[in-house]
Amino acid sequence: MALLSVEDLEVRFFTRRATIHAVNGISFDLDAGETLGVVGESGCGKSVSSLAMLGILPKTGRITRGEVRFGDRDLVKLKDADLREIRGRDIGMVFQDPMTSLNPVLKVGDQVTEVLRKHLDMDKDGARREAVAVLDRVGIPHASERVYDYPHQFSGGMRQRVMIAMAIACRPKILIADEPTTALDVTIQAQILDLLKGLVKEEGMGLILITHDLGVVAGICERTHVMYAGRFVETAPTNELFDRPRHPYTLGLLRSVPRLDASQKEKLIPIPGAPPDLSILREGCSFAPRCPYATDESRERTPMLEGIDGPMHRVACWNPVPDAEVATVASSSLEASGS
Amino acid sequence: MSVAEAQAAELSLERPSGLWRDAFDRFRRNPAALVGVGLLLVLIIAAVFAAQLAPHEPNQQVGPLSTNPAGPGGGFTLGLDEQGRDVLSRLLFGARLSLLVGVVSVAIGLSIGLVFGAVAGYIGGWVDTAIMRVMDLLLSVPSLLMAIGLVTLLGRGMVQIMFAVGVTTVPIFARLLRGSILGQREADYVLAARSVGVPGRRLLLGHIIPNSIAPVIVQATLTMATAIIEVAALSFLGLGPGDPSLPEWGKMMADNANRLESAAHLVLLPGFAIVISTMGLNLIGDGLREAIDPKLRS
Repeated sequence: MALLSVEDLEVRFFTRRATIHAVNGISFDLDAGETLGVVGESGCGKSVSSLAMLGILPKTGRITRGEVRFGDRDLVKLKDADLREIRGRDIGMVFQDPMTSLNPVLKVGDQVTEVLRKHLDMDKDGARREAVAVLDRVGIPHASERVYDYPHQFSGGMRQRVMIAMAIACRPKILIADEPTTALDVTIQAQILDLLKGLVKEEGMGLILITHDLGVVAGICERTHVMYAGRFVETAPTNELFDRPRHPYTLGLLRSVPRLDASQKEKLIPIPGAPPDLSILREGCSFAPRCPYATDESRERTPMLEGIDGPMHRVACWNPVPDAEVATVASSSLEASGS
Repeated sequence: MSVAEAQAAELSLERPSGLWRDAFDRFRRNPAALVGVGLLLVLIIAAVFAAQLAPHEPNQQVGPLSTNPAGPGGGFTLGLDEQGRDVLSRLLFGARLSLLVGVVSVAIGLSIGLVFGAVAGYIGGWVDTAIMRVMDLLLSVPSLLMAIGLVTLLGRGMVQIMFAVGVTTVPIFARLLRGSILGQREADYVLAARSVGVPGRRLLLGHIIPNSIAPVIVQATLTMATAIIEVAALSFLGLGPGDPSLPEWGKMMADNANRLESAAHLVLLPGFAIVISTMGLNLIGDGLREAIDPKLRS
């Protein structure tokens, strides 16, 4: 049985002006020790889905359909107090910006011990020792002294390590990392990804990695979901997705990433247009207005994820990109943008 | 970044410093703030050691009753009043009263205001609307007028005055903390704390309020100055403490207002004492504001 199983999750934001259809029915399974990638442009609903799973959506947001099965429980139906027990203990989350995600007035040690004391019922000294061990585990040098320092005394990369320490302090079964490397330097990015990889391998955690960076996904995810306008439009084993993207949007994403091995003449091909306005829910494929392959059917009926090239590779498209065309474009993207 | 710069950066990282320490460093380098601290120290020393410093009892008659009392100099440093009491001694003991009313009334206003502000800012919705409209209503009445009304209602006396002045400061603190909390409530670190299961109460008390309290501390210092002036004003208007022998600065001024020409020192000296203490508090407040302004934080 899957560790976490999301079924038809739908999230809406109800504001005075409009209803935002942020997430429109996504489903996926996560196994222990598995790393799952979710890629997409900003505003496509990646972060919102993860906040929804943990029940920490902003006040205007609500889960309107679907379930999030964790063990024998549906997180969507849990009371907030029960959900609070799960957050931090069974599911940890790492956020994008380490500069703002730590409380500036608390010592980092206190921020880690707070989690431990809440969930594991540790006394002050025990929690302190454990916090030092966890900070050491995530690669903070001199952890036993640095627990007394404040966040502003750490660099961005070190703060992200502290953030990860908070998230994994109770050895959760699942870690959700929402753009964990976006705000960091490239060299630091690689270190943080390495750390996450190591945690998955050694602790057997399931990792959901949310990013807009295809290079990050290529480096560490086994399966990748491509998200667009609140839906998964393509899902496949990462290698296969990079080798043979079948959804025009995936192809567009790959084409707009610069490649080291590309010749000088080869131009980047941006995706024309902008993501759709999520306050209006239209029939048809939401990518159709920007899609060179769109047909009348695309504009009229919403495509569902369906198997293509075998059951592992699924795509939601009425007119997938032909295999032959794909091969010439994307074959080397994996090596080029991977770490 | 050169090697030297990198080492310098490394050193500054190693230096044991916290937010409050940094703020203190900035405060210490601000000359105006230091003058304020000096003035406040004068007030505190006068209040605490009034009994030791004062040459006489505040209500002891040490000179002749006179409609034209002796001015400063002579046998008595700051002269005598019309009942033959030593003015210096009365001013020193008056410092006790002023400091007391400043601290107590701000404490009253602060504690009520913080509760309202925290509840309004954190819960939001109609609770917020209800609380803040009441606060707006209170703010729309001039504070001195409201204090006069409350004293009339509650009766005269030190406790009543401190309470009345305290209540007039409630909306200031409530609004300030609410605004500050609204700014912090959606902060990333709050979301991160929620993501590890920190419960609501702890979120508010342990995370949000400590990050929102700085402007309130600044305001408390400034409001203390206002409170001292307001209490003096109430006394001046004849709504002061019932006991006529209390050496309240405002009352000392009021008692001698008609002797401004013959014995100016009886009016000017208490006025000067009020100015010194409120100016000290204001300078400190401004210094604190500059030192812990969130915009200066890195």
